[in-house]
Amino acid sequence: MSAGEEPAHGDGTGRPDTAAALQEAVLDSKDVRAFLEELAALAATRLSAPDNTVHAGVTVLRHKRPQSVASSDATAAALDELQNGIGDGPCLTALKLKRTLLVPDLDTETRWPGYSGIATGEGVHSILAIPLDLDGEADAVLNLYSGRRNGFSSEDVDTVEAFTAQAAGSLRLVLKIAQLNEVRRDLTAAMRSRTVIDMAIGAVMAENRCDRDTAFGILTRASSTRNVKLRDVAASVITSISGESHISTYFDE
Amino acid sequence: MNPDWMGGPDQVREADLQRAGAARQYREADLPLTKLWAYYYGIGGDVDELSLEAYLHEALHLPAVQVGLIVMALAELAREMPA
Repeated sequence: MSAGEEPAHGDGTGRPDTAAALQEAVLDSKDVRAFLEELAALAATRLSAPDNTVHAGVTVLRHKRPQSVASSDATAAALDELQNGIGDGPCLTALKLKRTLLVPDLDTETRWPGYSGIATGEGVHSILAIPLDLDGEADAVLNLYSGRRNGFSSEDVDTVEAFTAQAAGSLRLVLKIAQLNEVRRDLTAAMRSRTVIDMAIGAVMAENRCDRDTAFGILTRASSTRNVKLRDVAASVITSISGESHISTYFDE
Repeated sequence: MNPDWMGGPDQVREADLQRAGAARQYREADLPLTKLWAYYYGIGGDVDELSLEAYLHEALHLPAVQVGLIVMALAELAREMPA
């Protein structure tokens, strides 16, 4: 599949080059944040016209708190942070309702009294917010700001919705991979930790001529009375016996 | 239905209470089950992930040693995580 250079303005519906560009973004990105940066930049370039500069940002709900994680430029980042700071605004509402929200003219808008005034003061006149459907893995919303009234046509909305859906699909995969990586890291850490603990249990069993549960009891009591992690208690037991301070586990990943 | 190692009604009641407490702590911590299980396994836990999940949904009782390790895993992870 070959796609030529496309002019950077929002004049059509989802074209195959957008999907390809997004797939590429997934491959090029070292992590999710980089991918979202590229999504924001792509959205901003697609919708910007010579007389209508569009700023794009992505807000992600982390631990139930909105956080601006990516943006096409500093203006978008500031506008996102503004909403997150106030805790109210069109993008957060779109995130909550899980559907696209278009604010054609912020001046006549009454839904976000705290936010609208400040945003118009910053030169924003229309806003388009499109949530990314991530299957409950996380919540994210693409925020687009225009300095013009009616800065987004219905075609623009269709275009961005189409490639946001594409992006969400890619992002679900990115998230899945990131998740699996984290699981792998956790399991590797667990193997290391468990080796140390099992050795310490064995040592306590030999020393006290007791069974495994009793040895566990001795270690866990030491851990909670001294407020030291069980793993660290186990490591100190081994160090006290053998002087070894680094026990490593070898296993195939 | 309770396994016979659990002892009399008083012990069962106590185990129920402790389990309810662990279940609440788990829900409030809002952390992935796999992460908790990996940590619990790392400090010497023996039951599989499914049994851990059943325990945290108050559908299964586990031996005291395992319960102690689950409680400890929850506490140590809570301290590791930024609030």
